Amino acid sequence: MNGSLTFLSVAPEIALAAAVVLLLLVEVTFKPRAWAWAVVAGAGLAAGTALSAWQWVAHRGADTGTFWNGMIAVDGFAALAGLLVFPLAGLGLMSAWRLAASQGRRGAEFIALVLLAAAGAHLMAAAADFIMLFIGLEVFSLSLYVLAGFTRERVDADEASLKYFLLGAFASAVFLYGVALVFAATGSTTFYGDGGIADYLAGTVIFRPGVLLAGLALLLVGLAFKVSAAPFHVWAPDVYQGAPGGVTGFLAAAAKVAGFAALARVLTAVLGARADDWVPAVAVLAAASVVVGTLLAIVQDDVKRLLAYSSVAHAGFILTALVAGRGGVGDMWFYLATYAVQVLGAFTVAAAVSGDRAGRSPLAHWAGLGRRAPWLAAAMTLMLLAMAGIPLTAGFAGKVAVFRAAIDAGYLWLVIVAVLATVAGLFFYLRVIVAMYLASPEEGASLPASPAVGWGARFVLAVAAAATLVFGIAPWPLLEVLRDALPL
Amino acid sequence: MTVTAGWYLALAAVLFVVGASGLLLRRNALVMFMSVEIMLNAANLSFVAAGRQLGVLDGQAAVFFVMVVAAAEVVVGLAIIVTVFRRRATASVDDLAGLKG
Repeated sequence: MNGSLTFLSVAPEIALAAAVVLLLLVEVTFKPRAWAWAVVAGAGLAAGTALSAWQWVAHRGADTGTFWNGMIAVDGFAALAGLLVFPLAGLGLMSAWRLAASQGRRGAEFIALVLLAAAGAHLMAAAADFIMLFIGLEVFSLSLYVLAGFTRERVDADEASLKYFLLGAFASAVFLYGVALVFAATGSTTFYGDGGIADYLAGTVIFRPGVLLAGLALLLVGLAFKVSAAPFHVWAPDVYQGAPGGVTGFLAAAAKVAGFAALARVLTAVLGARADDWVPAVAVLAAASVVVGTLLAIVQDDVKRLLAYSSVAHAGFILTALVAGRGGVGDMWFYLATYAVQVLGAFTVAAAVSGDRAGRSPLAHWAGLGRRAPWLAAAMTLMLLAMAGIPLTAGFAGKVAVFRAAIDAGYLWLVIVAVLATVAGLFFYLRVIVAMYLASPEEGASLPASPAVGWGARFVLAVAAAATLVFGIAPWPLLEVLRDALPL
Repeated sequence: MTVTAGWYLALAAVLFVVGASGLLLRRNALVMFMSVEIMLNAANLSFVAAGRQLGVLDGQAAVFFVMVVAAAEVVVGLAIIVTVFRRRATASVDDLAGLKG
C-alpha cells in the first residue's frame, strides 16, 4: 500500500473542506436562514463520521497503512479519532448554536471555523509525517484562535484571542524547529516505512544523538503545550475564561482530543523503540500537570477558570496512561473520549448560566442554581462528579483504567501522586456543587437573567449525561474494543 | 575555510534563540509576533541546510509548506493584533491584564 495514491485515505477531510466551501458559497450567494447552515454543517460532519466509521470497520486491528508517499496513515487509530472528533464538533455546534445564530451573517463563518478545526484535528491524528502533522496542527489552531475572539464586542474575548495566538504560535514554532532538528539528525520527516524515523530509531547506530534528542524534546514541548500539560499550561486559564461561553466547550474538548491523538502516535509509533528515554519525561510531565492543575484550581473563584485548571490536571491523568506506551493507548482513548464529553457538557452549563457570549462565570452566578434551574444544576453536578472521579461515572472508570495502565508499567509513584490529587480535587468540584445547592444568591447581587437553554444545548447535556452514566456503569465493552483496535 | 552545512545549522540555532528570547522579553505584540516569524525561519534554514547536506529534497519541500502556513498565520495574527489595537490604542501585552488569577 505504501506510496499508492488514494483519496479515500483523506476522505473525511475532503468532506469537511467541501462542507466549508459550500457553506460559505451558499452564505454569500443566497443569504439563507440559519437552518440552512445547520443542514450543510450537519451533512459535512455526518459524511466525515460515516467515512471514519467505514475506515474503522475496514482497518481496525490491522497494521497501519500509509498513503501519499507516507504522509497520511490509515488505521484504527485515525478512524477512531474521526469517530470522536466529528460528533464532538457536531455537539459543540449545537451547544454554541444560539451564539452562532446571534452573530448575524457572521454566524456562517463561525460554523465554517468549527468545521475547519474538526478537519485539522482529524488530520493531526491521521498524519504519518511531521510536516503533515504541522499542517493539521496549524489548520486546527488558527481556527481556534479566531473562535476564541469571535465576539468582538467584548474586551475579554480579544485579550483571550491574542494570548492564545501569541503563545500558540510560539509553541508551533518550537514544534517546527524540533521537527527540523529531527530531520537534520535522521534525514526524514516520515514516521513509518523504510527510511522513516521509527525505522531509523530502531537501528543501533545513531549519528548526531545530541541534535536528535534536542529535536525530540522541542517537538514534545510543542505538543505538550497544545494539550496544556504543566508547565506549558499558562495560556489555558486565560483563554478558557476569556473565550465566549459557547465556544469554550468545543475549544477545550477538541484541543485535548487532537493534541493527545498526535502525542500518542508520535510517542508510541515513532519513538516506541526508544521508550526508555521518553517515559520518565512523560511521567514527570504527568505528575506536574496533576499537581499544578489541582492546586491552582482550588484557589479559583471563577467556574470557567476552575474548569481550565481542572483540564490541566486531566491532561496529567491522560499522560499517566501514556507512560505505559502502546499498552496504554486504549485506556488513553477511553479517558479522552469520556472527558471530552464531560468538559463540553460542563461548559455548556456555564454558557447557559453566565451567558454564551460572556467570558467570566464567577461562583456568585452559580449560587442557588439548584432552585432556579434544577435540571441544569443536576447536569452540572453529574459532570463535576464524573471529572472528580466518583464511582458509577465514566470519570471513575477512566481513572481506574489509566492508573492500572501506569501500575502495569511500573509507575506506582505516579499513580500515588495522581490518587492524592484526585482526592484533593474533590474539594473544588464539591465547592461548585455546594454553591449550586446550599448557597443562596447574595442580596442585591446582579445575577444574569434566568439561565437560557436552547434545544441544541439540551441535547448536548442529555448526550453528555447518558454517556457519562452508561460508560460509568458498564465501561468494559468500550474499553475492550479500544484496547483491541489500536496497534499503531 | 569552507562554509559547511554545520555553520548554517548553527546560524539557525542562533536565530531560534534570538526569536525565542524576543518573544519572551519584548512587550509589544507586533514585535513578539515578528519574533515568532524569526523562529519559523530558523526552522526553515535548518530544513534547507540539512536537506542539502543529506542530499535529499525533503527539506526544501518542507520549507514550502512552512512558508504557506506562516503566511496564513500572519493573516490571522495581524487581524487579531489590529482588533486589539483598535480597541485599546496600544499593542503592549502589559495592558492586557483583564484575565488573571
